[in-house]
Parts: sequence; structure tokens; C-alpha cells
Amino acid sequence: MNHLITAAGICKEFHVGSSTLKVLDNIDFNLHRGEFIAIMGPSGSGKTTLLYILGCLERPSSGSYLLNGVNIIDASDDELSHIRANSIGFIFQTFNLLPALNIYENIEVPFLYRSLDDSGIRERIMGAIAQVGLTERVRHTPAELSGGEMQRVAIARAICADPLLVLADEPTGNLDSHTGMEILKIFKKLHANGSTIILITHDREVASVADRIVYLKDGKLIDNASAPEQKAV
Amino acid sequence: MHLRLNRKLFKFIALAVKSLLQHKLRATLSILGVVCGVAAVLSMLSIGEGAKRESLSQIEQLGTRNIYVKSIPLTEMQEKKSRAKLSQGLTLYDAQRIKNGCRGVQDVAGLRELKASVFGAIKDVMPQIVSCSPNYASMLKIPIFEGRFISDPDMQEGKLVCVIGHNVAKNMGASGSIGNYLRIENSLFKIVGILRRIESKERKAGAISLRNYNDMVFIPLTAASLVSKSASVTGATAWPEVTELVVGVSTVQQVLKSVPAVKRTLEITHGGADDYQIVVPQELLNQSRKIQRTFNIVLGSIAFISLLVGGIGIMNIMLATVSERTKEIGVRRAFGATYSDIIIQFLAESTILTFTGGIIGIIIGLGGVWLISAIAKWNTAITVLSLVLPLLTSILVGIFFGLYPAYAAAKMDPIAALRYE
Repeated sequence: MNHLITAAGICKEFHVGSSTLKVLDNIDFNLHRGEFIAIMGPSGSGKTTLLYILGCLERPSSGSYLLNGVNIIDASDDELSHIRANSIGFIFQTFNLLPALNIYENIEVPFLYRSLDDSGIRERIMGAIAQVGLTERVRHTPAELSGGEMQRVAIARAICADPLLVLADEPTGNLDSHTGMEILKIFKKLHANGSTIILITHDREVASVADRIVYLKDGKLIDNASAPEQKAV
Repeated sequence: MHLRLNRKLFKFIALAVKSLLQHKLRATLSILGVVCGVAAVLSMLSIGEGAKRESLSQIEQLGTRNIYVKSIPLTEMQEKKSRAKLSQGLTLYDAQRIKNGCRGVQDVAGLRELKASVFGAIKDVMPQIVSCSPNYASMLKIPIFEGRFISDPDMQEGKLVCVIGHNVAKNMGASGSIGNYLRIENSLFKIVGILRRIESKERKAGAISLRNYNDMVFIPLTAASLVSKSASVTGATAWPEVTELVVGVSTVQQVLKSVPAVKRTLEITHGGADDYQIVVPQELLNQSRKIQRTFNIVLGSIAFISLLVGGIGIMNIMLATVSERTKEIGVRRAFGATYSDIIIQFLAESTILTFTGGIIGIIIGLGGVWLISAIAKWNTAITVLSLVLPLLTSILVGIFFGLYPAYAAAKMDPIAALRYE
């Protein structure tokens, strides 16, 4: 099968004073196109650091990482920005919408940095807004939205430019269970439409929507199992 | 690609405007320094240009190729001392000596201001009566509208003829035409010429009065004694006394070289008496430039300090903005903003801020220039440069003082920025 991500021996160390803190320890990780994977683990296990490395926001201390065949380790800062703009969509636990901009303008942000021609941007943004069911609130600002609506805007922002990879960091972490389920439905729909998704969570129920679950503990990948099997455990 | 870049820049500008509008009061306060600086630059340039134009027009009227010798009114005691040195005062004899003895001097004209009354139909103007030599009009390029100026035979024969200015003729109505007579004191002078209207006003240029020819009446130097008791011929040779000599030099370059020769000649004819003063229009120009330079230094310093303080204010506000919008920077970096995208975004903001300050400064500056012009009666001139330069300066201030905050925003670690609360 065609690998979108091929990462091997990924290590990440942070220097705290005179001591060194190893957050990721020799991680091997592959992801196919169209796959939906959940990364689980307790707080401090290195989930978010791994997500940021896979999202080209952070460089590993050592190891190799190919995203869609491109060697990320040797890429310059501008090349990494270019890759993020054209290939990756982020969804954050705290939504991270820009308060001064309305829904439309928030979703437009990634297009500002993409190497796309200008044609059809409006249609794509409106399409993404429709996909998350917020067409009526397009001119509203984040302050006028509920938590669930804000996360839906964040999802629309991440997917509207058709990225190769969608990275979601605890997307339901700040939502009540009912709203969280609605968000997960959107993820399922995205996956059904062919999106490749990496979702980080410490909630087993949330992780269960993925094809595959990966466990991180103390910076090490300790298990790989398909979701149905995991449910059986 | 080009269109995309334009769209990007347009978006950055729109974002900057939106961001600034969210903090209107803060933005307004932060640009006060720039407003003052730009207003000062505009005022400096406008006043400077006005003064320069006025100086040039004065010099033009006085003639760049001319040297003026002006008699100094003496007290009785000074006059006694002067006579003791065998000085006859300023006379046409000096004119002849200068013309014959100084290299580069082409011609010398003499003029005497007279205190005399004009009778007749003149209502609104108070004509200034002067007696002069026939070459005065040609040397000072005074245009004749009708008739002629005073001629050599008029001078030699002391004829009672006069040439009147445009306003004098206009006010006299039908009687202010060629062939009619004008009564000055107890003598009737035949009008032989009328001057063309000249755009000039009476003012001082150093020790020399710039004359308003429109309100003047010219008579031959030799007829002066008929209208003024103080006007007389002096000495055994009976040279007419004058209050002013205009020395015409062949070229502009020769003017300053001829001054020492004129000085030496006058020292000899006046026996060393200090009863005259030499005025060189070119030197007046230099003096005016010196004053202008001092004025520019003062106003320029005010402008510089205002812009510096304004720029520091802008930097301060931009640093606060960057700190407030740390999370936004993280989000933008996560969605692919490059280092330069962030720099451009914040530079656009600081530049729009100072550009707005520049526009307001120009409006205030124009008001200030108008006020100065109205109250102090200074000549001012608004030129394209006086509008463009302050605006350009405001943009440069925005770029210069916005650079560090923009750099600080761009070099932020995207992950630390995303985690910032």
C-alpha cells in the first residue's frame, strides 16, 4: 500500500537545565493514504510532540521522516512552512480560531499561504462551512459561537484546502460528550470521503472511531492494534 | 503568481486595517508623535520654500547683476565730520568714478527719494516721488506701458517731465495720460510715460527698499531741487546728490569681484567717511540662505525628535500587539505562514499606522502653514515635495520602527506560540 508517512527511529529530546528529557524514544511509524489512526496515551507520553513532528512544526532530534516521499528532516524552515500550507490541516483542542476574524475569514487563513490560484477559493470555503453545518453563521465571530460550533469551524479550516493529512489534537477534549459525538461523526464522514487523519486522544471511546490505534507510553510506541481488537481488550 | 502576491499583500493590508480598527484609541495615541513630526516636516518645507521664493523674487527685483550703494542719513555731528573729510555725500560724481574706474562695471544709475506732495485727482494712492537718472529704468528692467522714460536731454536740461506708475495713472483717470500735467509741489510736470503694472509690493531687502513702481512718480534728478528743498546740488562741480546708486556689472559672476573696486573708489571720493553703505543682492541671498539653514535646523530637529519619539511609540505598541497576538502567530505558522509572511503582516500594520499618522500630520501641517501665513504674514509655498517627503518619511518610520517587532514575531517558536495562554 502507498505510504503517506514513513517515520523511523524518531527521537525527541529537550534540554532542561543540565539534564536531558527524552520525550520520544525511537519511534517507527507508518501511515497509509486514506487511513484514520488514533494515537492514545496518558498525559506527558509525548502524543502532542509526535503530532507536531508529523505536522512538520517540530524537528525530531534524530530519525528519518518522509511525508509523501519528501524528506522532512533536511527541509528548510520555509520548505516546512510550504509543506504545512499545502499538505497539512491542524485541528486543536482549544480550537485556536482568530477572535478578530469571522468564520469565513478564519477558514480563509490557510489559503493565504497556499500555492493555489485564486479561482474557486470562495466556493471551497463555503463548501467546507456547509460540510460542518454552519452556513447560516458565516459572518459570525468566534465569540458568538458555542464550543462545538468553534470546533466545527476549526475542522472546516483544516479540511477546506484538501490537505494530504489532517492532524487533530484532542478535538473533543473541550466539549461535552454530546457535542463531542457530533464532532466525531464529522471525522467519520471525512474519513469516508478519503481524508487521511491522525487523531490524538486519551479517550478510548473517541479513539474507537479510527481504523487503527497506536499507544504511546513514556515516549515509546508500545502497541499497534486495529480498533475492533482494542475494543475487545 | 503575481496576482497571488498582490492578493496576499491586499489581504495583509486588510488584516492590518482590521486589527488597528479594533484598538482605535490605542492606535490614535500611538501615532501622535508621527503626526507632530510630519506636520513639522511639512511646515519646515513649506515655510522654507516660501522664504526661498521670496528671497529669489527680491533678488530678481533688485537685479542679480547689481550692486547697491545707499547713503546713510547722518546726524549733524556726523555730517560735520564727513565734510571735514571732504565727502560730498553720495552724488552722481561717485557714479561717474565707479563707472570709469571699476572693472566689470557697465553702468551706474542714481536715484533720490523726495518728500513732496502731489496735487490733482489722485485719491487712493500716496505716490512716492523719486528723481533718477535716465538709465534707471533700463538697469532695473522697469517696463514702460506707454510713452517713454526720462531721457538724457530731460536730465541735461532739467526738464519738468515725469513718468508715472500704473496705479497713479489709473487713479488720475483721464488726466493721467501722456501729455497731461501733474502738479508736484508748485511745479507742473508733463507726463511723458506710464509704467506697465508690475506684480510687486513694498518691502525691505536688507538696507534696500523694494519699491512698488505702480505707486511711483519719476522725475529727472536735475529737477529734484524744484520739488524738494532738501534736494540740492553739491560742491563746486554741482553734482546732483542721490540717496541710492545702482551699479550694473557685466556678469553675475563678476558682481562679487567688482565689490572691492567699488569700495576702494568710494573710500577715495568720500575721504574715508562712513556716509554710505554697499549692499549686494547676492550677499542678501546668502544671508537669507543662512537664516533659512538655521530655521531648517531648528524645525528639522523638532521634526526628527517628534519622529523618533513617534517611532519609539509605534515600536512599543507593535511589541505589545505581537505579545497579545502570540497565539495568532502560532496558528498562522501552523497553517503555513513563513518567516517572511509574518514579517510582512506586522510591517504592514506598523506602516499603515504611521502612514495614517502621516496623512493626519499633512492635514494638520497644511492648517499650520495656513495659520502661519495668515498670522505671521510669512510667505509659504506648498510643493509636491513638501507633501510627498513627509508622507514618505512616515512610511519609512513605520518600516524602520516596525522591523524589530515584526522580526520578534517571525522568530517566535510556532509551538511555544500555539501553547501561549
